[in-house]
Parts: sequence; structure tokens; C-alpha cells
Amino acid sequence: MASALMNVTASALNWVSVSFDAPLARAVVFGFPVDGHLVVEGLLIAVILFQLSRKSYKPPKKPLTEKEIDELCEEWIPESLHPPITEEMLAQPPILESAAETHTVIDGQEVVNFASANYLGLIGHEKIIDSCVSSLKKYGVGSCGPRGFYGTIDVHLDCETRIAKFLGTPDSILYSYGISTIFSVIPAFCKKGDIIVADEGVNWAVQNGLYLSRSTVVYFKHNDMTSLESTLEKITRQNYKRAEKMRRYIVVEAVYQNSGQVAPLDEIIRLKEKHRFRVILDESNSFGVLGNSGRGLAEHYGVPIEKIDIITAGMGNALATDGGFCTGSVRVVDHQRLSSSGYVFSASLPPYLATAAIGAVNYLEENPTILASLRNNIASLRKGLSDVPGLTMASSPLSPFVFLKLKKSTGSPKNDLQLLDKIVDRVLKEDSIFIVTTKRSALDKCPLPVGIRLFVSAGHSESDLLKASESLKRVAASVLSELI
Amino acid sequence: MLKLYVEAPPPPVLNRNTEWVMYPGVWTAYVLLIFFAWIAVLSLLRCSPGVAWTVVNLAHFFVTYHCFHWRKGTPFAEDQGIYNGLTWWEQMDNGKQLTNNRKFLATVPVILYLIASHTTDYQHPMLFLNTLAVFVLVVAKFPNMHKVRIFGINGDH
Repeated sequence: MASALMNVTASALNWVSVSFDAPLARAVVFGFPVDGHLVVEGLLIAVILFQLSRKSYKPPKKPLTEKEIDELCEEWIPESLHPPITEEMLAQPPILESAAETHTVIDGQEVVNFASANYLGLIGHEKIIDSCVSSLKKYGVGSCGPRGFYGTIDVHLDCETRIAKFLGTPDSILYSYGISTIFSVIPAFCKKGDIIVADEGVNWAVQNGLYLSRSTVVYFKHNDMTSLESTLEKITRQNYKRAEKMRRYIVVEAVYQNSGQVAPLDEIIRLKEKHRFRVILDESNSFGVLGNSGRGLAEHYGVPIEKIDIITAGMGNALATDGGFCTGSVRVVDHQRLSSSGYVFSASLPPYLATAAIGAVNYLEENPTILASLRNNIASLRKGLSDVPGLTMASSPLSPFVFLKLKKSTGSPKNDLQLLDKIVDRVLKEDSIFIVTTKRSALDKCPLPVGIRLFVSAGHSESDLLKASESLKRVAASVLSELI
Repeated sequence: MLKLYVEAPPPPVLNRNTEWVMYPGVWTAYVLLIFFAWIAVLSLLRCSPGVAWTVVNLAHFFVTYHCFHWRKGTPFAEDQGIYNGLTWWEQMDNGKQLTNNRKFLATVPVILYLIASHTTDYQHPMLFLNTLAVFVLVVAKFPNMHKVRIFGINGDH
């Protein structure tokens, strides 16, 4: 093949050189022997002299004629302001008509609620509600200002010290909106030019934080420690000299919202210390759930809390209030008081929510047995759901919510979601069990499969869990019978 | 009646990509650059002067064709992409054809060709390559080729 090509090019060059020395080249004009090149050169010089002699001009602007404008206008088909409305756009999620406790009221009917992340069953707890009411009477509803501009109330400081004392860290900082915690903390520490190694299954709030930080983000395979190790090695090897000056972070969630897996913290800490990275851990779904006394993933794995650089958590799950907190060393927390956008530029947490958080943490510290009942509930629900036809459990046995995904996916997440929505609607209508599918925003780039989530609460009774598993088995069998 | 306003001449549109051609001394620098390139090639390759001129001519062809006639747009983001469909040659002097700069830049390839072909004594394959180079460059610099894309090559997508 190569030799044939060479032959072709050699013969082409031969032909070219022969043609250059063609008989034309030896014509005689007015007694001068004319070679081929002279012709070419003469032509060139003539062309150049002609161009040099012309005057400079600006190329004329050719505006569109009336006829052309009319034609273009007729051809134009305007895009509609909104795409045509489909049925799924008109679908509305179920509306709760009472508090989101373990049993709520939807459409006038009482349903068992597996859709609220009320892990410790603290919604509607009398002591917490009493403390909230007294706080409302004392402080009113809102705090009317950011923390730096007269929005700091003593309950905020109490809440921060209480959480820090509970976790064993020097200090903590409160945020007023659950998910804005993680997406304010990441840009406060990670700037342009830093490297972040993040799990590919992090939820949208973390992805937003990674995007806002403008750092270089490298994703590793979901919860895969070998992939994390190879990524860290690649990065430290590639940027060996610059790695000393660039800040390097690992961002993981303790219990992943999108899959229910638990991050192996001891492995991560070992890798972090080997390659000298900093760890940002989001404990929204594991604070108050994992560990012997609910202190989170670090207690569960027996890792000293000082080894994790930044821990954030939203308080909307186990603690049944709103807002979030972030803890770490004194430097970590202090830096955020001036550099974290969510802290500096948003109004502070309403004081009654801070009081509720203090009450919840007190309750958790006094009654660690509630964790045992939560774990029993999780275990029995997992036992009941282990043989649902067409769905498998993708979450870990430690995760406080059970994540079910389709055994055989239809191929596109949209179709999967439609199928799961059908199951969920039927379960609600026929058996009065309220469960949810994963809600992914249009901006979410998570590659993990969609599924059904059942949030287990310590307040659920055995009969609730039994009812849920029976109903899900029945409905899944009928809806997914075409697929299996 | 007082003159309520004055008409100032509109400021010249300065395309930062091409305004450097209007600096004094650009022509001299260009010629000297080519000359020093020839000396460098001669000393590095240790070839005959003719082959060195051929090398310089071909290198000049590749560089100027790529920079003037192939790459479109500007490296400056402040002009918001108004020149995104125009090559450097089309942007020069605001699209005015046959200005002095353009005439100078159009003669340089021809003079290089004459020097290169003369010093190689019109031998092949150098002559063929030189002729091809000068032909492409001269055609590319015609005023009739302003904004013309043959067969849509290098056109906008």
C-alpha cells in the first residue's frame, strides 16, 4: 500500500517536471530562447504591476433590496415563546395538607409518608414545638438581616456552639438554607486554578458549588476507591511541580442523595493523607443517622473528626429544621464568616429554626436509642423490599433511605422516570403510601440511574413498613410485567 | 442661531488584530525578518543559497497563508466576534482593497519567488514548489477574492 503510494507520487513528480520542460519551454520569440519559468515570471510580474497601479477603494456595501427583505420576512417562521404543553408538564405533585410526619393527609385521605427525610421522627415532637413557640414569642419570625448586619441573634451563636460541642469540633457556622450550605462552602475555599476531585454521583447542590468555584473539576467513578486513587495519582503526577502551589480538594458526600451509597471514609482519609488533598464532606443524609450516637460518618468509621477538613450538612433531614451548618477547624469556620456568599449575603436563619435545631440536637444526645429504632426500621424495610419484581435496591444497608432502581432500564432516563412515576402514582392511589421518584433538575449532570426513594423514619411502625413493601411488590409486578 | 452641537469626525475603527500594520517600520522589519531567516536557514542547514531561499519561500508561504488567509476572527474577545468570519487579510485596513500595505504584502511573495527561482537556476522540484506557493499567495491576495470561499473551504459553519 505504501509502496504503491510512493510510486504514484514519484510518477506524478516526474510528469510535473517533464511538463515543465515541455517543448513550449524551448520556443524562441524574437530570437530570445524562452524557458517555461520565464513565462510564469513574466505573467506574475505583469499581474503585480497591474495591481500596483490600481487605486485603492473600499468594497461597496450592498444593502438588501426591498424585495430581498420581503422574501426573508416571508420565509421566517417565529419560534413559539413556549413549546406546546404536554401532559407531563401539566402533572402536579401531590400536595400535603398536614404536617409532613410519618402519616400525612393528601387529598383528604391519610397516607403513610415515605417521602420526607424525617429520619429521627422529630417533626411534630412536642418539646421541639414548644421551644419553637417560645422562641417565636420572644424573637418573632424572621431575623431581618444577614449575619454581619444586625442579623445575628443569640440563638444563632448558641446553635453554633451546640453543634460544635456535639460533633467535637472547635466551631461551626450556620447557613439559612439547606442546600446553599454546600454551594457556598465550596466556592469559599476553591478558587480558579485549584483542582477538585469529586464523585460523579454528587447531587445538584454540590455540582452547583463545583461550577461556581471555577476550579478544575475531575470526576471519579461513583464510590469507587480504585478510581479515586488512580485519579489522585494522575493529578499529582501530572502537575508535580505546580501541585505544591495549587490547592487540591476531594468532594464527597457521606450518603449520596442519588444512590444511597455510603462513602468509605477510612479509605478516603488514607488516600487524602497519602496525596495531600483536603476533604470536603457533605453529611446531609448521615448527620444524626450514622454512628453510635448519630455524630455522622466519622464516628461510624472511627475516624478522628480532626482529619476531615470541612464537614457540611443540611439540617433539613434528621434535625427536622431548615438551614445548614459547616464545621471544621477554627480557621475553616472563621474564613467563611467573611468569604462565604451564602453566609454574608443572605439573611440569617430565622431564630425559631435555630432553637428547633438546638432542641433536636439535645434530643438526639439524650436519646441515642432512637438510632437503634431507625436502624431496625431500615433493616425490616430492606428485608421486605428485597424481592420486589423488576426493582433492585441500590442503596447501602446503612443509608437512611432505600433507593430502588429498575433491574432492566428502558434505555433513556426519561422513560425510566415515566415508568417509576406510574408505579408511584398507583401506590399512592391504591394503597395510600406516599413515595417519590428522584427529581433531577434540568441542570443536573449526574449519570446515575433514576429510581424510587423511600425515606425511613424512626417513627414508622412495623405495620407501615409491611404495608409499603406489600404494596410496592404488587404494583411493581403489575406495572413492570411487560418489561420482565 | 448658535451651533448647538459639533460634528466630530467618527473615530477610526481600530481592529487591534490588524492595526499593527500601520506602525512605522513594519515593512522594513518584515523584509529584514525574511533576510535573517534566510541567513539562519543557510547556517543551520548548510545548503546552497538557492535551496535556502526555497526553504524560506516555502516557510513564508505556509506561515503567511495560515496566518493571513486561513485563520479567521481575532484573538481579542472585546470586539465581540464581528470579525469572526473574516480572515486577517480581509480585516486589514478595514476591508479597503489595494491599499499600500496590501500592495506591499502582495509583492513580497513575488520577489521571493523571483529570488528563489533565480538562485536555484530553475531546477525541479524546487521550481515547482516555489511556483505553486507564489501562485496560491498571489491569487489569495486579489481584491476580487475578498470574502470569497472557494468550494466553501474555510467557510462559516
